[in-house]
Amino acid sequence: MSEIFEQLATFIIEGDDEKTPELVQKALDEGLNAKDILDNGLIIGMNEVGVRFKDGSMYMPEVLMSAKAMHDGQELLRPLLAAAKVKQSGKILMGTVKGDLHDIGKNLVSMMMEGQGMEVINLGFNVDPEKFVAAIKEHKPDVVGMSSMLTTTMRFMGHTIKAIEEAGLRDSVKVIVGGAPLDAAFGQRIGADGYGYNAGDGAELAKRLLA
Amino acid sequence: MRTNYRTNSGVRFEMLSKDQLEALFNGVLHTLAYTGLDVHHEEARDILKGIGAWVDGIRVRIPAYLVKRSLDMAPRSFTLFARDGNPKHDIHIDPGRGHFGPGPTPPNFIDVDTLERRPYVKDDARIVATVCDALPNIDFCESLGTVSDVTTELAASYEFAEMFPNTSKPIVAWSFGAEDGEDIHKIAVAEAGGQEAFEKRPTYVHYCEPISPLLSDDKAIDKLLFAARHRVPLIFTPCPIAGGTAPVTAAGTIIQAAAESWMGLTLAQAIQPGLPFFMGGVLSVMDMKETVFSYGAPELSLMMAGVAELAHYVGLPLWQTGGCTDSKILDAQAAIEGSLSCFFSALTGGDLCHDVGYTESGMTGSILQTAMMDEAIGYVRRITRGIEVNEDTLATDVIHNVGPNGHYLYEKHTRKYFKTEFWYPNLCDRHSYEEWEAEGKKPMRDRVVERVQDILSTHQPSSIKPETRDAIKQILAAAEQRVKDKE
Repeated sequence: MSEIFEQLATFIIEGDDEKTPELVQKALDEGLNAKDILDNGLIIGMNEVGVRFKDGSMYMPEVLMSAKAMHDGQELLRPLLAAAKVKQSGKILMGTVKGDLHDIGKNLVSMMMEGQGMEVINLGFNVDPEKFVAAIKEHKPDVVGMSSMLTTTMRFMGHTIKAIEEAGLRDSVKVIVGGAPLDAAFGQRIGADGYGYNAGDGAELAKRLLA
Repeated sequence: MRTNYRTNSGVRFEMLSKDQLEALFNGVLHTLAYTGLDVHHEEARDILKGIGAWVDGIRVRIPAYLVKRSLDMAPRSFTLFARDGNPKHDIHIDPGRGHFGPGPTPPNFIDVDTLERRPYVKDDARIVATVCDALPNIDFCESLGTVSDVTTELAASYEFAEMFPNTSKPIVAWSFGAEDGEDIHKIAVAEAGGQEAFEKRPTYVHYCEPISPLLSDDKAIDKLLFAARHRVPLIFTPCPIAGGTAPVTAAGTIIQAAAESWMGLTLAQAIQPGLPFFMGGVLSVMDMKETVFSYGAPELSLMMAGVAELAHYVGLPLWQTGGCTDSKILDAQAAIEGSLSCFFSALTGGDLCHDVGYTESGMTGSILQTAMMDEAIGYVRRITRGIEVNEDTLATDVIHNVGPNGHYLYEKHTRKYFKTEFWYPNLCDRHSYEEWEAEGKKPMRDRVVERVQDILSTHQPSSIKPETRDAIKQILAAAEQRVKDKE
């Protein structure tokens, strides 16, 4: 049994998005518990990836492959975990704000979040405040993440937070922001719950807010 | 496959035209044949006279045909070997391949713990060798100082005895004369397993210096004769000071330096045909305000590029110069001057680029400067490697598959190339402000010091044979006795 978990962790570290879901399925077929597979296999592997990324021995493309393997493996577990009423690690709504077509930074954070086991709903770019509000109503996320690459579009983050407040939804979600022209002080000024300075930090921030 | 398709490997650099090089070449031949040099060494003059040089007192003039024959005899491609057989530490001298390492003999050294300037001591040779062994872009080792805390006459013997066990990279050795040169040679031969084995795989190069203008003393020639007779690859490198001991013009200084070096070439090839020979030297200016020989001057890089092109034009490898500075400390000046001369040296394909780690205009060796330059050389080598253009690197399929608004981070193509297409710094900081702040807001200087101290506390160079260890003890004991006997 522990061999399967170790092998799963290894596949995650290697970023193998084919063998990981295969082995997750095999583990389930052998009657292993979904929560054990997640906690003792996938998450163990992903934690190691985090350590290696931080110390410089793993690089972003490798981390993202690990995150993808993690995500694909976890997709098989998600319905079982929900049925067993195991508390899952959070739902995040992500989008680049109105007027801004920059996508990759927000996608990087999303991929890192998925690697941490979170469920991410990605609204894409040029997302106006009304669309954020509608998506919150529809998906009921725990956290809303906004990205902006331009000094000219930063202000729509404040507008979006205001729209969320006016819709009476501000207390039901945490709001986090990130992007090249921002800093922590800007996040505070517009009333966000947190600011992430890069993809890894954004994912860590979401994790902290979910805890 | 394509036809009529030409690729450039790496970055192209060319300064002098063929006509200009021919003019320089003929200027050197003219100087050697008409002006000549003073050779303060009777045996050397006899050898040169024996092959057809014109000798008049101590003045030796060398006809052009002799110089050309000597140029023909010297190899353009050869290998300097790692003493432990590690092929990664071998140096292949070949057109277009630049290598880097420190230089010899400054009296002072920057202490790696206190960061203060003080006289160079024996243990510094161990420190320099260990750090050079570990630094990925430093290819050969040289001491960066003259040992001050041993029997004066044996400074070079002790220096080599400290370096040799602590790096397996080829060493450039310096000595006062032939006797301590022989101490050094015996150590290398002991490890190689005999003179014949050494000749097949030479692990060190001997460094000799003529004096500008146009003069060689008996010690420099003694060393040259010893190295040539024992088939030790040779560097014969003058330090002409433009405006002081050489013409103020770059072209004139290049001509004089080449004439000084090629006297050594002619003598060495007369003794040992085919001996690997590096043309020198360090060409720079006398700063007319400070009267120092500048190691950070742009003219150094410029003249070294000119002499590199002349060396390669005549088919000789060059003892290049770079990574050095007039600055006294590890600061922005040291980084600017050192990095630019490393870049220029790499562009010229300077075969062995030395003085990486010279500070204070050659007065103080600093392994910290060497370590900072290791980063600059890595950076430079990524640039000179150039852009590879082929079906796979053109990536039009990948661009098509990803399309507008996609991203390349999941692409196999990205994973295949991201480690080789990009250079990753060891010392240059690319953290976010937050991470940089969290790690203590360290400036470059602190990161360099940490790296050197980290290498010194963790790096284990491959060891020499136990019998070589014993041989070194005996050689040094015999050398001490030799000095005593002379008193």
